[in-house]
Amino acid sequence: MAGRWQWFHRLGSPKWFYEKTTRWLPWLVGAMALFLTVGIVWALLFLPPDYQQGHTSRILVVHVAVAGTSLSFFPLMAVAGTVTLVWRMKLADMVARNAAPLGAWFTFLTLATGSIWGSVSWGTWWEWTDSRLVSMLFQFFLLLGVISLRSAIENAETAARACALLSIVGCINVVIIKYSVDWWNTLHQPSSPISMEVGSPNGPEFWVATAVMIVAVYLFLAVSLILTTRNEIIQRENKAQWVRELVAQAR
Amino acid sequence: MMKPHRRKRLGLVLFIAFGMSVAVALTLFALSQNINMFYSPTQVANGEVEAGTMFRIGGMVKDGSVEQQQESLAVSFVTTDYTNDVPIEYEGILPDLFREGQGIVAEGRLNATGVFQASRVLAKHDENYMSPEVRAALEQAGADPENHQFRANPED
Repeated sequence: MAGRWQWFHRLGSPKWFYEKTTRWLPWLVGAMALFLTVGIVWALLFLPPDYQQGHTSRILVVHVAVAGTSLSFFPLMAVAGTVTLVWRMKLADMVARNAAPLGAWFTFLTLATGSIWGSVSWGTWWEWTDSRLVSMLFQFFLLLGVISLRSAIENAETAARACALLSIVGCINVVIIKYSVDWWNTLHQPSSPISMEVGSPNGPEFWVATAVMIVAVYLFLAVSLILTTRNEIIQRENKAQWVRELVAQAR
Repeated sequence: MMKPHRRKRLGLVLFIAFGMSVAVALTLFALSQNINMFYSPTQVANGEVEAGTMFRIGGMVKDGSVEQQQESLAVSFVTTDYTNDVPIEYEGILPDLFREGQGIVAEGRLNATGVFQASRVLAKHDENYMSPEVRAALEQAGADPENHQFRANPED
Protein backbone atom coordinates (compact mmCIF):
# COMPACT_ATOMS: atom_id res chain seq x y z
CA MET A 1 0.00 0.00 0.00
CA ALA A 2 2.65 2.46 1.04
CA GLY A 3 5.41 3.39 -1.34
CA ARG A 4 3.78 3.95 -4.69
CA TRP A 5 0.88 6.00 -3.36
CA GLN A 6 2.76 7.80 -0.61
CA TRP A 7 3.48 10.93 -2.64
CA PHE A 8 -0.22 11.21 -3.47
CA HIS A 9 -1.29 11.07 0.18
CA ARG A 10 1.37 13.54 1.20
CA LEU A 11 -0.10 15.89 -1.41
CA GLY A 12 -3.35 15.74 0.53
CA SER A 13 -1.77 16.92 3.77
CA PRO A 14 -2.76 20.53 4.57
CA LYS A 15 0.48 21.01 6.50
CA TRP A 16 2.59 19.93 3.53
CA PHE A 17 0.60 22.25 1.23
CA TYR A 18 0.96 25.19 3.62
CA GLU A 19 4.71 24.78 4.00
CA LYS A 20 5.34 24.30 0.27
CA THR A 21 3.24 27.28 -0.77
CA THR A 22 5.00 29.52 1.75
CA ARG A 23 8.10 28.93 -0.32
CA TRP A 24 6.40 29.16 -3.74
CA LEU A 25 4.27 32.27 -3.16
CA PRO A 26 6.96 34.97 -3.53
CA TRP A 27 8.02 33.47 -6.88
CA LEU A 28 4.46 33.15 -8.12
CA VAL A 29 3.57 36.72 -7.10
CA GLY A 30 6.75 38.05 -8.72
CA ALA A 31 6.10 36.22 -11.97
CA MET A 32 2.46 37.36 -11.94
CA ALA A 33 3.44 41.01 -11.47
CA LEU A 34 5.96 40.75 -14.30
CA PHE A 35 3.60 39.10 -16.79
CA LEU A 36 0.68 41.39 -15.88
CA THR A 37 2.79 44.51 -16.36
CA VAL A 38 4.26 43.35 -19.67
CA GLY A 39 0.84 42.18 -20.93
CA ILE A 40 -1.05 45.36 -20.05
CA VAL A 41 1.66 47.76 -21.26
CA TRP A 42 1.97 45.80 -24.50
CA ALA A 43 -1.78 45.71 -25.04
CA LEU A 44 -2.24 49.43 -24.38
CA LEU A 45 0.86 50.88 -26.05
CA PHE A 46 2.39 48.47 -28.55
CA LEU A 47 -0.41 46.30 -29.91
CA PRO A 48 -1.20 47.49 -33.45
CA PRO A 49 -4.83 48.54 -34.01
CA ASP A 50 -6.95 46.12 -36.01
CA TYR A 51 -7.84 47.26 -39.55
CA GLN A 52 -11.55 47.00 -38.81
CA GLN A 53 -11.96 47.45 -35.07
CA GLY A 54 -9.25 50.05 -34.53
CA HIS A 55 -8.34 50.38 -30.87
CA THR A 56 -11.32 48.34 -29.66
CA SER A 57 -9.31 45.15 -30.28
CA ARG A 58 -7.19 45.94 -27.18
CA ILE A 59 -10.12 44.83 -25.01
CA LEU A 60 -9.74 41.36 -26.50
CA VAL A 61 -6.29 40.87 -24.94
CA VAL A 62 -7.98 40.87 -21.52
CA HIS A 63 -11.18 39.20 -22.70
CA VAL A 64 -9.50 36.21 -24.36
CA ALA A 65 -7.15 35.65 -21.40
CA VAL A 66 -9.91 35.82 -18.79
CA ALA A 67 -12.31 33.74 -20.89
CA GLY A 68 -9.76 30.99 -21.50
CA THR A 69 -8.86 30.86 -17.82
CA SER A 70 -12.49 30.80 -16.73
CA LEU A 71 -12.92 27.53 -18.65
CA SER A 72 -10.37 25.83 -16.40
CA PHE A 73 -12.44 26.15 -13.21
CA PHE A 74 -14.88 23.30 -13.79
CA PRO A 75 -12.15 20.82 -14.83
CA LEU A 76 -10.13 21.92 -11.77
CA MET A 77 -13.11 21.53 -9.44
CA ALA A 78 -14.00 18.20 -11.06
CA VAL A 79 -10.51 16.76 -10.48
CA ALA A 80 -10.55 18.04 -6.88
CA GLY A 81 -14.10 16.70 -6.53
CA THR A 82 -13.12 13.26 -7.79
CA VAL A 83 -10.30 13.16 -5.23
CA THR A 84 -12.82 14.20 -2.56
CA LEU A 85 -15.31 11.51 -3.59
CA VAL A 86 -12.82 8.68 -4.02
CA TRP A 87 -10.01 9.41 -1.53
CA ARG A 88 -11.83 11.78 0.90
CA MET A 89 -8.94 14.21 1.07
CA LYS A 90 -9.71 17.41 2.97
CA LEU A 91 -7.29 19.54 0.99
CA ALA A 92 -8.92 18.72 -2.35
CA ASP A 93 -12.25 19.92 -1.02
CA MET A 94 -10.73 23.14 0.32
CA VAL A 95 -9.31 23.89 -3.13
CA ALA A 96 -12.64 23.13 -4.83
CA ARG A 97 -14.54 25.28 -2.36
CA ASN A 98 -12.31 28.30 -2.90
CA ALA A 99 -12.20 27.85 -6.66
CA ALA A 100 -15.97 28.33 -7.10
CA PRO A 101 -16.25 32.03 -6.15
CA LEU A 102 -13.04 32.79 -8.06
CA GLY A 103 -14.49 31.07 -11.10
CA ALA A 104 -17.67 33.11 -10.79
CA TRP A 105 -15.62 36.32 -10.82
CA PHE A 106 -13.60 35.20 -13.86
CA THR A 107 -16.78 34.25 -15.71
CA PHE A 108 -18.37 37.57 -14.80
CA LEU A 109 -15.30 39.44 -16.11
CA THR A 110 -15.48 37.43 -19.35
CA LEU A 111 -19.12 38.37 -19.84
CA ALA A 112 -18.50 42.03 -18.94
CA THR A 113 -15.47 42.58 -21.20
CA GLY A 114 -17.17 40.69 -24.03
CA SER A 115 -20.28 42.80 -23.65
CA ILE A 116 -18.32 46.04 -23.80
CA TRP A 117 -16.49 44.86 -26.93
CA GLY A 118 -19.73 43.63 -28.50
CA SER A 119 -21.56 46.89 -27.93
CA VAL A 120 -19.00 48.64 -30.13
CA SER A 121 -18.22 45.96 -32.70
CA TRP A 122 -21.45 44.03 -33.12
CA GLY A 123 -23.87 46.79 -32.23
CA THR A 124 -25.36 44.88 -29.29
CA TRP A 125 -24.46 44.26 -25.64
CA TRP A 126 -26.12 40.87 -25.47
CA GLU A 127 -27.75 38.30 -27.76
CA TRP A 128 -29.90 35.62 -26.16
CA THR A 129 -29.75 33.56 -29.34
CA ASP A 130 -25.96 33.23 -29.44
CA SER A 131 -24.95 29.86 -28.01
CA ARG A 132 -21.44 31.00 -26.99
CA LEU A 133 -22.83 33.89 -24.96
CA VAL A 134 -25.61 31.88 -23.36
CA SER A 135 -23.44 28.85 -22.49
CA MET A 136 -20.96 31.21 -20.80
CA LEU A 137 -23.81 32.79 -18.82
CA PHE A 138 -24.90 29.26 -17.90
CA GLN A 139 -21.42 28.61 -16.49
CA PHE A 140 -21.81 31.74 -14.33
CA PHE A 141 -25.11 30.45 -12.93
CA LEU A 142 -23.69 26.94 -12.47
CA LEU A 143 -20.86 28.38 -10.37
CA LEU A 144 -23.33 30.39 -8.28
CA GLY A 145 -25.22 27.09 -7.96
CA VAL A 146 -22.13 25.29 -6.66
CA ILE A 147 -21.54 28.09 -4.13
CA SER A 148 -25.12 28.08 -2.86
CA LEU A 149 -25.30 24.27 -2.82
CA ARG A 150 -22.35 24.28 -0.42
CA SER A 151 -24.05 26.68 1.97
CA ALA A 152 -27.47 25.03 1.61
CA ILE A 153 -26.33 21.64 2.97
CA GLU A 154 -25.52 21.75 6.66
CA ASN A 155 -23.36 18.63 6.88
CA ALA A 156 -19.93 19.63 5.55
CA GLU A 157 -19.11 16.19 4.14
CA THR A 158 -22.43 15.81 2.32
CA ALA A 159 -22.04 19.34 0.95
CA ALA A 160 -18.55 18.53 -0.31
CA ARG A 161 -19.77 15.40 -2.12
CA ALA A 162 -22.78 17.17 -3.66
CA CYS A 163 -20.58 20.01 -4.92
CA ALA A 164 -18.05 17.51 -6.27
CA LEU A 165 -20.74 15.78 -8.33
CA LEU A 166 -22.16 19.07 -9.65
CA SER A 167 -18.61 20.15 -10.62
CA ILE A 168 -18.02 16.92 -12.56
CA VAL A 169 -21.32 17.32 -14.40
CA GLY A 170 -20.55 21.02 -15.03
CA CYS A 171 -17.53 20.01 -17.13
CA ILE A 172 -19.94 19.07 -19.93
CA ASN A 173 -20.82 22.75 -20.25
CA VAL A 174 -17.15 23.65 -20.71
CA VAL A 175 -17.04 21.44 -23.82
CA ILE A 176 -20.21 23.13 -25.07
CA ILE A 177 -18.75 26.62 -24.51
CA LYS A 178 -15.53 25.67 -26.31
CA TYR A 179 -17.17 24.20 -29.41
CA SER A 180 -20.38 26.30 -29.52
CA VAL A 181 -18.85 28.57 -32.18
CA ASP A 182 -18.01 25.57 -34.39
CA TRP A 183 -21.18 23.55 -33.90
CA TRP A 184 -23.75 26.31 -34.41
CA ASN A 185 -24.17 29.63 -36.17
CA THR A 186 -23.19 32.32 -33.72
CA LEU A 187 -22.56 36.04 -33.72
CA HIS A 188 -19.40 35.32 -31.70
CA GLN A 189 -16.36 34.67 -33.87
CA PRO A 190 -14.60 31.27 -33.75
CA SER A 191 -11.11 30.92 -32.24
CA SER A 192 -8.46 32.70 -34.28
CA PRO A 193 -5.83 30.67 -36.11
CA ILE A 194 -2.29 31.63 -35.11
CA SER A 195 0.26 32.69 -37.69
CA MET A 196 3.99 32.61 -36.96
CA GLU A 197 4.80 35.16 -39.64
CA VAL A 198 5.15 38.81 -38.66
CA GLY A 199 3.10 40.99 -41.00
CA SER A 200 0.51 38.38 -41.92
CA PRO A 201 -3.09 38.22 -40.64
CA ASN A 202 -3.17 36.92 -37.03
CA GLY A 203 0.61 37.35 -36.87
CA PRO A 204 2.68 37.37 -33.65
CA GLU A 205 2.27 41.15 -33.25
CA PHE A 206 -1.38 40.38 -32.42
CA TRP A 207 -1.29 37.22 -30.34
CA VAL A 208 1.93 37.52 -28.28
CA ALA A 209 0.36 40.16 -26.00
CA THR A 210 -2.61 37.85 -25.47
CA ALA A 211 -0.32 34.88 -24.76
CA VAL A 212 1.54 36.94 -22.12
CA MET A 213 -1.79 37.96 -20.62
CA ILE A 214 -3.01 34.34 -20.51
CA VAL A 215 0.07 33.35 -18.47
CA ALA A 216 -0.49 36.40 -16.21
CA VAL A 217 -4.13 35.53 -15.58
CA TYR A 218 -3.32 31.87 -14.85
CA LEU A 219 -0.67 33.01 -12.36
CA PHE A 220 -3.24 35.34 -10.81
CA LEU A 221 -5.61 32.38 -10.52
CA ALA A 222 -2.91 30.26 -8.85
CA VAL A 223 -1.94 32.98 -6.39
CA SER A 224 -5.57 33.76 -5.43
CA LEU A 225 -6.44 30.10 -5.02
CA ILE A 226 -3.37 29.38 -2.90
CA LEU A 227 -3.99 32.42 -0.66
CA THR A 228 -7.66 31.59 -0.02
CA THR A 229 -6.87 27.90 0.52
CA ARG A 230 -4.13 28.77 3.04
CA ASN A 231 -6.65 30.90 4.91
CA GLU A 232 -9.05 28.00 5.04
CA ILE A 233 -6.33 25.59 6.22
CA ILE A 234 -5.58 27.88 9.18
CA GLN A 235 -9.29 28.04 10.02
CA ARG A 236 -10.13 24.35 9.62
CA GLU A 237 -6.95 23.03 11.26
CA ASN A 238 -6.89 25.52 14.13
CA LYS A 239 -6.59 22.69 16.67
CA ALA A 240 -3.55 21.11 15.03
CA GLN A 241 -0.23 21.51 16.81
CA TRP A 242 1.58 23.04 13.84
CA VAL A 243 -1.10 25.70 13.30
CA ARG A 244 -1.00 26.67 16.97
CA GLU A 245 2.76 27.04 16.80
CA LEU A 246 2.42 29.12 13.65
CA VAL A 247 -0.11 31.44 15.27
CA ALA A 248 2.01 31.73 18.41
CA GLN A 249 4.98 32.67 16.26
CA ALA A 250 3.04 35.37 14.47
CA ARG A 251 1.96 37.01 17.72
CA MET B 1 -2.88 -0.68 -5.90
CA MET B 2 -6.07 1.23 -5.18
CA LYS B 3 -8.24 -0.06 -2.38
CA PRO B 4 -11.37 -1.86 -3.66
CA HIS B 5 -13.87 0.54 -2.07
CA ARG B 6 -12.05 3.47 -3.65
CA ARG B 7 -12.03 1.80 -7.03
CA LYS B 8 -15.77 1.23 -6.68
CA ARG B 9 -16.38 4.90 -5.88
CA LEU B 10 -14.19 6.03 -8.79
CA GLY B 11 -16.17 3.72 -11.08
CA LEU B 12 -19.43 5.26 -9.88
CA VAL B 13 -18.16 8.81 -10.48
CA LEU B 14 -17.00 7.93 -13.99
CA PHE B 15 -20.32 6.20 -14.71
CA ILE B 16 -22.34 9.27 -13.64
CA ALA B 17 -20.11 11.60 -15.69
CA PHE B 18 -20.42 9.35 -18.74
CA GLY B 19 -24.19 9.01 -18.40
CA MET B 20 -24.70 12.76 -18.08
CA SER B 21 -22.48 13.42 -21.11
CA VAL B 22 -24.48 11.03 -23.27
CA ALA B 23 -27.77 12.59 -22.12
CA VAL B 24 -26.57 16.13 -22.88
CA ALA B 25 -25.08 15.08 -26.23
CA LEU B 26 -28.38 13.53 -27.31
CA THR B 27 -30.35 16.60 -26.19
CA LEU B 28 -28.06 18.98 -28.07
CA PHE B 29 -28.18 16.79 -31.15
CA ALA B 30 -31.98 16.91 -31.09
CA LEU B 31 -31.95 20.69 -30.62
CA SER B 32 -29.10 21.44 -33.01
CA GLN B 33 -31.10 23.38 -35.61
CA ASN B 34 -32.93 25.45 -32.98
CA ILE B 35 -29.66 26.51 -31.38
CA ASN B 36 -28.43 28.16 -34.58
CA MET B 37 -28.57 31.91 -34.28
CA PHE B 38 -29.37 32.61 -37.92
CA TYR B 39 -30.31 31.11 -41.27
CA SER B 40 -28.04 31.38 -44.29
CA PRO B 41 -29.33 32.79 -47.61
CA THR B 42 -29.19 29.24 -49.00
CA GLN B 43 -31.40 27.94 -46.21
CA VAL B 44 -33.84 30.78 -46.96
CA ALA B 45 -33.75 29.97 -50.68
CA ASN B 46 -34.48 26.33 -49.87
CA GLY B 47 -37.64 27.43 -48.09
CA GLU B 48 -36.53 26.38 -44.61
CA VAL B 49 -38.11 29.52 -43.18
CA GLU B 50 -41.89 29.87 -43.01
CA ALA B 51 -43.26 32.92 -44.82
CA GLY B 52 -44.06 35.89 -42.59
CA THR B 53 -42.17 34.65 -39.53
CA MET B 54 -39.61 36.71 -37.68
CA PHE B 55 -36.13 35.24 -38.06
CA ARG B 56 -32.44 36.14 -38.37
CA ILE B 57 -30.40 35.86 -41.52
CA GLY B 58 -26.60 35.84 -41.63
CA GLY B 59 -24.25 36.37 -44.55
CA MET B 60 -21.71 38.65 -46.16
CA VAL B 61 -22.64 42.10 -47.46
CA LYS B 62 -22.21 41.76 -51.21
CA ASP B 63 -19.62 44.07 -52.74
CA GLY B 64 -21.17 47.09 -54.44
CA SER B 65 -24.67 46.34 -53.20
CA VAL B 66 -25.01 48.97 -50.45
CA GLU B 67 -27.32 51.86 -51.38
CA GLN B 68 -27.69 54.58 -48.75
CA GLN B 69 -30.58 57.08 -49.05
CA GLN B 70 -29.37 60.68 -48.95
CA GLU B 71 -32.26 62.20 -46.92
CA SER B 72 -32.92 59.37 -44.48
CA LEU B 73 -31.32 56.47 -42.65
CA ALA B 74 -32.86 53.98 -45.06
CA VAL B 75 -30.32 51.60 -46.57
CA SER B 76 -30.58 48.60 -48.84
CA PHE B 77 -27.99 45.92 -49.52
CA VAL B 78 -27.65 42.31 -50.57
CA THR B 79 -26.46 39.56 -48.25
CA THR B 80 -24.82 36.48 -49.71
CA ASP B 81 -23.21 33.19 -48.75
CA TYR B 82 -21.63 33.00 -52.24
CA THR B 83 -24.31 30.50 -53.31
CA ASN B 84 -27.52 32.47 -52.85
CA ASP B 85 -28.40 36.15 -52.33
CA VAL B 86 -31.10 37.80 -50.26
CA PRO B 87 -31.83 41.54 -50.61
CA ILE B 88 -32.25 43.44 -47.32
CA GLU B 89 -33.89 46.78 -46.52
CA TYR B 90 -33.23 48.54 -43.23
CA GLU B 91 -33.84 51.91 -41.65
CA GLY B 92 -31.66 52.86 -38.70
CA ILE B 93 -28.10 53.24 -37.49
CA LEU B 94 -25.69 50.57 -38.70
CA PRO B 95 -22.93 49.22 -36.40
CA ASP B 96 -19.36 50.51 -36.83
CA LEU B 97 -18.12 47.34 -38.49
CA PHE B 98 -20.83 47.36 -41.18
CA ARG B 99 -19.30 47.55 -44.65
CA GLU B 100 -19.21 45.71 -47.94
CA GLY B 101 -17.61 42.30 -47.64
CA GLN B 102 -18.41 42.20 -43.92
CA GLY B 103 -20.34 39.41 -42.20
CA ILE B 104 -23.66 40.59 -40.76
CA VAL B 105 -26.68 39.18 -38.96
CA ALA B 106 -30.05 40.87 -39.61
CA GLU B 107 -33.32 40.34 -37.76
CA GLY B 108 -36.69 40.81 -39.45
CA ARG B 109 -39.02 39.10 -41.92
CA LEU B 110 -39.36 38.45 -45.65
CA ASN B 111 -42.02 40.47 -47.48
CA ALA B 112 -44.15 39.25 -50.38
CA THR B 113 -41.52 40.20 -52.97
CA GLY B 114 -38.75 38.27 -51.23
CA VAL B 115 -37.04 41.33 -49.74
CA PHE B 116 -35.90 40.94 -46.12
CA GLN B 117 -37.27 43.82 -44.02
CA ALA B 118 -34.73 44.14 -41.21
CA SER B 119 -35.61 45.67 -37.87
CA ARG B 120 -32.05 45.23 -36.59
CA VAL B 121 -28.64 44.75 -38.20
CA LEU B 122 -25.60 43.40 -36.28
CA ALA B 123 -22.04 43.23 -37.55
CA LYS B 124 -20.24 39.91 -37.23
CA HIS B 125 -16.52 40.02 -36.71
CA ASP B 126 -14.49 37.16 -38.12
CA GLU B 127 -11.54 35.42 -36.47
CA ASN B 128 -8.90 37.38 -38.40
CA TYR B 129 -6.98 40.31 -36.97
CA MET B 130 -4.49 42.44 -38.84
CA SER B 131 -3.06 45.91 -38.72
CA PRO B 132 -4.06 48.49 -41.36
CA GLU B 133 -0.51 48.26 -42.79
CA VAL B 134 -0.73 44.48 -43.24
CA ARG B 135 -4.07 44.85 -44.95
CA ALA B 136 -2.77 47.51 -47.29
CA ALA B 137 0.24 45.33 -48.12
CA LEU B 138 -2.00 42.33 -48.81
CA GLU B 139 -4.21 44.38 -51.11
CA GLN B 140 -1.21 45.71 -52.98
CA ALA B 141 0.09 42.18 -53.48
CA GLY B 142 -3.20 41.34 -55.18
CA ALA B 143 -4.52 39.10 -52.44
CA ASP B 144 -8.09 39.62 -51.26
CA PRO B 145 -7.92 39.71 -47.46
CA GLU B 146 -11.70 39.68 -47.13
CA ASN B 147 -12.20 36.65 -49.27
CA HIS B 148 -12.59 34.21 -46.42
CA GLN B 149 -15.69 32.12 -46.69
CA PHE B 150 -18.54 33.10 -44.43
CA ARG B 151 -19.14 30.13 -42.20
CA ALA B 152 -22.91 30.17 -42.38
CA ASN B 153 -23.67 26.52 -41.81
CA PRO B 154 -20.69 24.74 -40.31
CA GLU B 155 -22.25 21.29 -40.69
CA ASP B 156 -22.40 21.52 -44.50
